[in-house]
Amino acid sequence: MSIPVGHYQYDRVDRDFLQARIAEFEGQVNRRLDGTLSEDEFKPLRLMNGLYLQLHAYMLRVAIPYGILDSRQLRKLGEIARRYDRDYGHFTTRQNIQFNWIRLEDTPDILRELAEVDMHAIQTSGNCIRNVTADEYAGAAADELVDPRVHAEVLRQWSTLHPEFTFLPRKFKIAISGSPNDRVAARFHDIGILARPGEDGAPVFRIFVGGGLGRTPVIGEELFDSVREEHLLATLEAILRVYNAHGRRDNIYKARIKILVQAIGVEAYREAVEAELGQMELDRYRLTPEAVAAIRARFAVPLLEAPDDADAVLTQQRRDDPLFDRWVRSNTHVHRDPGHIIATISLKPAGGIPGDATSAQIGRLADLADAYSFGEIRITHLQNVVLGHVRKDRLRDLWLGLSEVGLAEANIGLIGDIVACPGLDYCALANARSIPIAQKLGARFADTALQAEIGALRINISGCINACGHHHAGHIGLLGVDKRGEEFFQLTVGGQAENGAAIGTILGAALPEDETVDAIARLVDCYLGRRENGETFLDTLTRLGHEPFREAAYETV
Amino acid sequence: MKRPVRLEPGQKLVLTANRLLDGRIVWWCEGGTWDLHIGRAALLDADEAEAVLARVVAEAQRDGVVGVYDTAVQAAVPPEPVTVREKIRAHGPTVHPEFAVETEQ
Repeated sequence: MSIPVGHYQYDRVDRDFLQARIAEFEGQVNRRLDGTLSEDEFKPLRLMNGLYLQLHAYMLRVAIPYGILDSRQLRKLGEIARRYDRDYGHFTTRQNIQFNWIRLEDTPDILRELAEVDMHAIQTSGNCIRNVTADEYAGAAADELVDPRVHAEVLRQWSTLHPEFTFLPRKFKIAISGSPNDRVAARFHDIGILARPGEDGAPVFRIFVGGGLGRTPVIGEELFDSVREEHLLATLEAILRVYNAHGRRDNIYKARIKILVQAIGVEAYREAVEAELGQMELDRYRLTPEAVAAIRARFAVPLLEAPDDADAVLTQQRRDDPLFDRWVRSNTHVHRDPGHIIATISLKPAGGIPGDATSAQIGRLADLADAYSFGEIRITHLQNVVLGHVRKDRLRDLWLGLSEVGLAEANIGLIGDIVACPGLDYCALANARSIPIAQKLGARFADTALQAEIGALRINISGCINACGHHHAGHIGLLGVDKRGEEFFQLTVGGQAENGAAIGTILGAALPEDETVDAIARLVDCYLGRRENGETFLDTLTRLGHEPFREAAYETV
Repeated sequence: MKRPVRLEPGQKLVLTANRLLDGRIVWWCEGGTWDLHIGRAALLDADEAEAVLARVVAEAQRDGVVGVYDTAVQAAVPPEPVTVREKIRAHGPTVHPEFAVETEQ
C-alpha cells in the first residue's frame, strides 16, 4: 500500500500494539459481562477505549489524530455506521467521530475493524492526554508558516500510553497550529501551540497554558514564546509533570490545569516548569532533526500539478454560475499552490443536525476525496470536513458531486455553520437539547443569500455547563439550562476562539426555549440595522457595546 | 443515604436502568422483568419504592442491567415521565422520530 497523504503511515509495531490492546479490552468486556468486573471497575477501562454509556446506548468515540484521515479509513467509518450503528456518525469538536448506538458486545469487533485501517479509540476519553488537534488547513494553506502535522504526530506518539500521564487529575487537551491565523482555538486549550520558523529557519513554538471552556472559561496564558524544536517534548513533559503533581484531585470541577495556573499565576507556573526542566535528563527528551525527519518521511507529499489555466477556468465558472460562486466565496480557502484550492464541506444543512453524516454521505466523501484530493480528508473542530488539495479547474465538479448527496451548503463561517454538542437528546450530562435549537436556527436562516448578507457570525450551542459546544467562544453563544424540568437558554455575545480570543458576555436572564430563536433573530436584526460599512457582527458589537443587543434580545420579554 | 422522594399528586415512581449488553434504556416491570417500553413499567408508591429499588439494584448484574434508579412519572396510561430528560429516555431522541421507542417491538 502506498503511503497516505496527510497522516502518518503505521508500521508493524503500531499494528501489533493495536491487536494486543483489542485483545486486552475484549477480555475486560467478557469479564464485565460475566460479572467478574463490576460497573465501577469496568467504567475507567471502557473509557480508556473510548466507550461511554450515554443516554440511550453505548457511544464509541473514534480517534482521528490531528483530524486527518484517508479515504479507506473514512470508508470504514461509513461501514461501521451502517453495520453497527444506525447508519450515521457524528463528527465532534475534537476532530473525532462518535457512534451513538453501539452494543457493548460488538465493541471488540468494531475495534478490530478500525485496526484494519490503522484506527482506534484509545485516549478519546479518560483523564489522559486526548486526541491532539491541528489546523484543518495544515500543509495546504497559503498563510501557513510551519506544517504542524509532523509535530502533531510527534505529540501523538509521545502522549499515547504515556505511563506518567495516564491518570492525570483531569482530561488534557492539546492543539497545534503553524499559521499566524489561529484556527485551532489555541488559547482555549490546556496547552495551545503555535509554530513558526525561528531565525535559523528551524521551527520554534509559542506555548500557551491553562486555557479552557467548561464551567470555568479561561483564556490561556503564554508560558513560553520560542521553544526550540529539540526542547519541545521536554517542555511539554515538564508542563504536564507540574500539573500532575500539583493539580487538584479532590474536586473534579477544580481539577483542570487552568485552575492550577489561575491559582498560582503563570509566572509561578513557568518557574515550576523551568525548575522541572532543570532537573530533567534533557537528552532523553531531545527531539532530534533525525527523529523529526523519520516521522516526516511517513507522510506522503501530494504532487500538486495543475494546468496553467486552472485559475482562469475557475474564475469563468464562478462568473457563469452564481450559486457555485456563492459556495466558493464561503467554503474555500487560499492554497499555497496557485493551481489548487482548499474546500470546506459543510455538515450543517439548513434544519439538519450539526456534524452528522449518513453512511452514504461518508462513503461519497471518501469517493470524492479519492477523485479530487489525493484520498485525504480532514475533520474540523467546527464539525465540518475539508478536502485540502483540490485543483481549481476541478472544483466545480467536486461541488456538483457534493450537491448530489446534500453536502453543498454554502455557509462556512456564516450563521448557518452552527456548532452544537449532542445535548440532552443523547448526552447523559446535558440539561437541555442543543440539536433542536440548532435545527430551528438553521431553518430560520436557511437562505444562503441572507447568510452571506449577514456575514461572519458564529453560533455555538452547549446543552450544559460542560460547554462541549464551546458556547463561550461563540460570537453568539447559547447555554442550555434546566429550570424546574423545562429547557431555557442563556445567551452570550462577543466570544471568539481565534487570535483575539475572548469569552462571551452573558446578556441577561435565560430565555425559554420557544423564545430563544426569535431573540437571536432580533440580535441579528439589531446588527444589520446598525452596522457600518464592512463591519462584522463582532465589529458592531465592539463599537456599540452590549446594551443595544441586550435590549433587542429582551425586547418582548 | 438516598434523598427522600417527593411526589406531586397523581405521580408514582418507576425504576429504570440501561441494559448491560447494548446500553438500551429499560424499565422495571411487575414480576422482575425489564422492558424497553415505559408503558409496561411497574408503578410504585414512594413508601415502597426504596425497598424495591434496593432489591433490584442487588440483582442488577444477574438481570443484565446497569445504573438502576427511580424516577417520577404521571400515573397515566401509559405513564409519562415528569422531566424532559426522562421523557427523552422513555421515547427516544427528539431529533430522530424514526428511532422512537414506540416503534420497536
